Amino acid sequence: MEYYSPTDLKEAYALLGRYGASAIPVAGSTFFMGHREELFDEVEAVVDIKRLGLSYLRLEGGRLKIGATTTLAGIQKSELTARGVFRIFADTVSELNIKEVRNMATIGGEVCIAGEVDMPTTLLAYDADIVIGSSKGTRVLSMQKFHRGYLNNALETGEIVIEVQVPQPRNGTGGGFGKFERTAADLPIVNACVRMALGKNGVADEVAIAVGAATAAGVPVRVAAAEKAVTGKKVDDALIAEAAEAAGAIDCVDDFRASARLRSRWVRCAVEDAMKKAVAHARTGD
Amino acid sequence: MKAITLNINGEKCRVQARPHWSLAYTIREKVGLTGTKTGCEMGTCGSCTVLLDGQPIFSCLKMAVDAEGHEITTIEGLEKDGKLHPLQQAFIEDHGMQCGFCTPGMIVAGRALLDENPRPSEQQVREAIAGHLCRCGTYARIVRSILHAAEMSQNR
Amino acid sequence: MTTETTVVGKSLPLIDGYEKVTGKLKYAGDLPALQRMHHAKVLRSPYAHARIKHLDTGRAEALDGVSAVLTYRDPIIGTKRTCGQVWTDPSFNFRGPLISDEVCFVGDEVAAVSAVDEDTAKEALRLIDVDFEELPAVFDMEEAMKPGAPRVRPWGKNYLDSSLFAWGDIEQGFKKADYIIENRTTMGNQQHAPLDRNACIAHWDSEQHLTIWTSTQALFWLRDAICEFFELSPRQVRVHSTPTGGSFGLWWANNFMFIARALARKARRPVRFSLTRDEVQTTVKRRERPITDIRLGVKKDGTLVAQSHRHLLDNGAYGNKFDPYQSVADLYTTEHGRTEFIGVSTNLLTAGCMRGVGDLTLAFAIEQAIDLAAEKVNMDPVEFRLKNVWKTGDILHTSQEVVFAKLMFNKEPEIRLTSSGMHECLRKGAELIGWKDKWKGWNEPSAVDGSRRRGVGCALSTHISGLPFFGYNGIVIKVNSDGTMALTTGIGRMGQGGDTTQAMVAAEVLGVKLEDINVIDGDSEVCPHTMVTYGSNGMHMVARATRAAAEDAKRQILDLAADALEANAEDLEIRDRRIFVKGSPDTGIGLKELMSKPIYEYLASPEIIGRASQGVDFTKSGKMMIADFCEAEVDTRTCQVKIVKFVAVHDSGTIVNPAVCENQVAGGMYQSLGFCFTEHLVFDDETGAILNPNFMDYKLVGPMDMPDPIIHFVQVYDQDGPFGAKGIGEGVTCAVPAAVAAAVRNAIGVWINPPITPDKVMAALHRG
Repeated sequence: MEYYSPTDLKEAYALLGRYGASAIPVAGSTFFMGHREELFDEVEAVVDIKRLGLSYLRLEGGRLKIGATTTLAGIQKSELTARGVFRIFADTVSELNIKEVRNMATIGGEVCIAGEVDMPTTLLAYDADIVIGSSKGTRVLSMQKFHRGYLNNALETGEIVIEVQVPQPRNGTGGGFGKFERTAADLPIVNACVRMALGKNGVADEVAIAVGAATAAGVPVRVAAAEKAVTGKKVDDALIAEAAEAAGAIDCVDDFRASARLRSRWVRCAVEDAMKKAVAHARTGD
Repeated sequence: MKAITLNINGEKCRVQARPHWSLAYTIREKVGLTGTKTGCEMGTCGSCTVLLDGQPIFSCLKMAVDAEGHEITTIEGLEKDGKLHPLQQAFIEDHGMQCGFCTPGMIVAGRALLDENPRPSEQQVREAIAGHLCRCGTYARIVRSILHAAEMSQNR
Repeated sequence: MTTETTVVGKSLPLIDGYEKVTGKLKYAGDLPALQRMHHAKVLRSPYAHARIKHLDTGRAEALDGVSAVLTYRDPIIGTKRTCGQVWTDPSFNFRGPLISDEVCFVGDEVAAVSAVDEDTAKEALRLIDVDFEELPAVFDMEEAMKPGAPRVRPWGKNYLDSSLFAWGDIEQGFKKADYIIENRTTMGNQQHAPLDRNACIAHWDSEQHLTIWTSTQALFWLRDAICEFFELSPRQVRVHSTPTGGSFGLWWANNFMFIARALARKARRPVRFSLTRDEVQTTVKRRERPITDIRLGVKKDGTLVAQSHRHLLDNGAYGNKFDPYQSVADLYTTEHGRTEFIGVSTNLLTAGCMRGVGDLTLAFAIEQAIDLAAEKVNMDPVEFRLKNVWKTGDILHTSQEVVFAKLMFNKEPEIRLTSSGMHECLRKGAELIGWKDKWKGWNEPSAVDGSRRRGVGCALSTHISGLPFFGYNGIVIKVNSDGTMALTTGIGRMGQGGDTTQAMVAAEVLGVKLEDINVIDGDSEVCPHTMVTYGSNGMHMVARATRAAAEDAKRQILDLAADALEANAEDLEIRDRRIFVKGSPDTGIGLKELMSKPIYEYLASPEIIGRASQGVDFTKSGKMMIADFCEAEVDTRTCQVKIVKFVAVHDSGTIVNPAVCENQVAGGMYQSLGFCFTEHLVFDDETGAILNPNFMDYKLVGPMDMPDPIIHFVQVYDQDGPFGAKGIGEGVTCAVPAAVAAAVRNAIGVWINPPITPDKVMAALHRG
């Protein structure tokens, strides 16, 4: 096993091209090191992409651009997520109680893992795009299209995620995150993110609801039925309960961590919690 | 094998490391500083916490080869000229430990917290050590020790 | 009878605190490499039960850097006595044959390799070719007991002869009852889960002499087990036990230590075997899982008249326990009783003692039945307990001393409880939780707020303060020329502060300060025999020897001082490092001056060695008393349970070091709260493999999860314990699950067996 730490993208792409499927790109290294025993046989080259200048948050052309190797702590501490429409990204990071992991794990890694982490759920609710780079150039995929299943995504051999882009939500948009876990320092068992634009008279003009961790698909999903139940209506507790109920109908995974039935209940609860937070946030805009 | 130089507690250590060796393993087995403990080797217990440029990380999840060029602080770096850090003093006085295995990680995490926030609340202390396990269940006195150390540092 | 103390009763800092906070304390995994040392790795069974059909280690042996490969074919594996026979060592804890051609649980050892480094050893494991023939396996205790059940392992029955205790006339007893309560409970699979992974270094320093370094709480047991297993003399084996990074009953004499020893022999080099987290969780041991049937007879006025308990305990593949070390079977005084224990084998991870052992699992069952009885006669559960719980001097029918006296001498002695502050514990606990306001009656939650329902519960337990048949305790105290001292003991160090508190006892007797005493421990050649450190024996039993050794040293010091002061030794006292005449403190001599002063006859200064080696009278049994109170909140919407408040009141006699003891109580609470909710090894129904072999999914309670406990000590002076002390370390876990289950029951009206998961709460509250 070789270790490379390229300092420009071209060099990184060349290495990834040379080693093909036996190369693993690494930034925070939490996933690679956490799974090093299983990965030991298949990995020939570890390509560290941390020194490619991909650690940044900036608002550009109406999009929040987050470099792939930006740590969760970096997102949490940015002024861009301190208040306003992008605050949800800091809130999402805060849901992970482990400071040491927030200091190491990167948004690119979370996007690629997708299953048992929080950030992809939020990115999905916020219609994020994933910028993918390789020696052939760059391409952009929506979160919806990026994920194919647990640890399975649209990346081709030689490609890496280099940036995540989030379109700036319209004014009056609030975000909320709901989560269930077994202890305060755990993998998420269920998470949910709600993005909601509140119009006049408390009517939900635009609603996005994403559910993660619990899904049978192994990756976050948008819950169209729940979104539809709310969109264009005046938001009150009864409507929130109705949307949560609809979200609970998604296919949930059943395993020793929690039954599908419990997860379905928690999906309802998490969506309800997230929606209430989103409404509160939309009202204050803070 | 790759030759690397690690800057640990202000001292340059040259070692040979393989890419899948964690910083924790390398510090312990190759540098010989065994105060950094490795309970789970997958980022779930906090025993291996060290500071990387002042920020706490799990050294079991950090590749040793990727730790070059950073200032690494381990538990051995807290005692200066035979004088204990206030955190160490407080942990002794307040019995912030039982078997002692989680203690180095707790103290290093406490150090990162106090560097950033010299007068933390109890809740902030708990958040700072949220990713750390103490199987002996000493949390109440660990939290008390960190709060006490904050007080001691202020009064210095 | 209490005496004024200057050291005992103070929260003095741990004597190894400095080493712990600086990271200088060496656990076994921290020891420096020996020259030529190799590293071990083990190939493990993927099957719960299988026979090795084909095993080829040729390619592994040929790999560069490999020094030995160990399989069942090696002649050194086990002796006549252990191969093919039941291993009856009281540690009930290891495998029988070291490695066999029949594997009996997932994770069982198939082959072991030593190599120049861990990476090479792992590589060698991949080069071993092995084929298995799967054999029928059984995972359920009651299935395993049925005639025709698959045999769990190639020797012995699937279940052991029952341990039966009976008193009075049980049938007559139940006839006298107005109501009979019948109840069955089970619990989950808890793992000790110490944070440290442990390691063992074995080194043959000559053909005839073996040295072992490992973290263990059982220095002499380990040495003796190695001697017995490999047919060696204690003269040939030296064990260094380092402190454990938590043990809780896990690190005694374990198979992996024996493997290190056998590999070192074969490789002709020092070998270190360091366990991975997965190996700690899934290949060593776990707490026995119980199935308990209780029957209680109660009169309308709330008097218990008869009790019967039948307790099945899952020993897993290689556990061999016939009696779970229970005291709680005697907790309620009834005229008629019957208690039965049956150890059952299954093709699951070996089970054995874990902190609190039988008293945790049996208390869970008994306390629930007690609540059911109290409900039946509509009595407040605290009042019901006050009425029926045991008192000082009560006869103990089910103590292990009875079993062992019978086993060893065929006698049935009468054993009595030395002291009990249980009534006071109950009253104090009720006061601290606010029982009067919060207990609203049976089927009445304490409070309801929307979907959140609160309830309270209480539970009692008790536990041994050591058992005499653990062996003699030897202690040596050497007084240095400056009046400082070295106390040598075989006591284990696993976070319970045993070295500190033993030194406190010696310092109290010898009138010196705690910092004057160094404790030397963990060396089987240097330390006198001390009983294995388990069963909460440190303060009640080992400390008696410590006190006796200190008194021996004190007597010699006073004799010496008598000469120097021209006084009678009986008239002298030591305090604050100074010997003086009682009643005239100005006539005296400093300990340092005395010890450094040459004696005329020898032209040399003296050396004093105080010593004691003694057994403990088993007919007076000191037990600790525990009353736990819990307030829990169940959210019927999310089905999650939150602990709102937890009160732990303990009578462990005199509290020698309050801070140490508070940490013990808190730790016991956290561990047992983990057991109540999230600590549960999940075995795959089909394969018997453990699905959650690490902290990612075996969830320990963290710093954000539970409230700090409210702790109170009822200090009833125990006449037999040193300075009135009893044990504490294990009992702290015992009553917690029962108190939690009672609080949850009070909140939502349903009894739930641990682990109390949101899934189970949901099943109880939301059917369909």
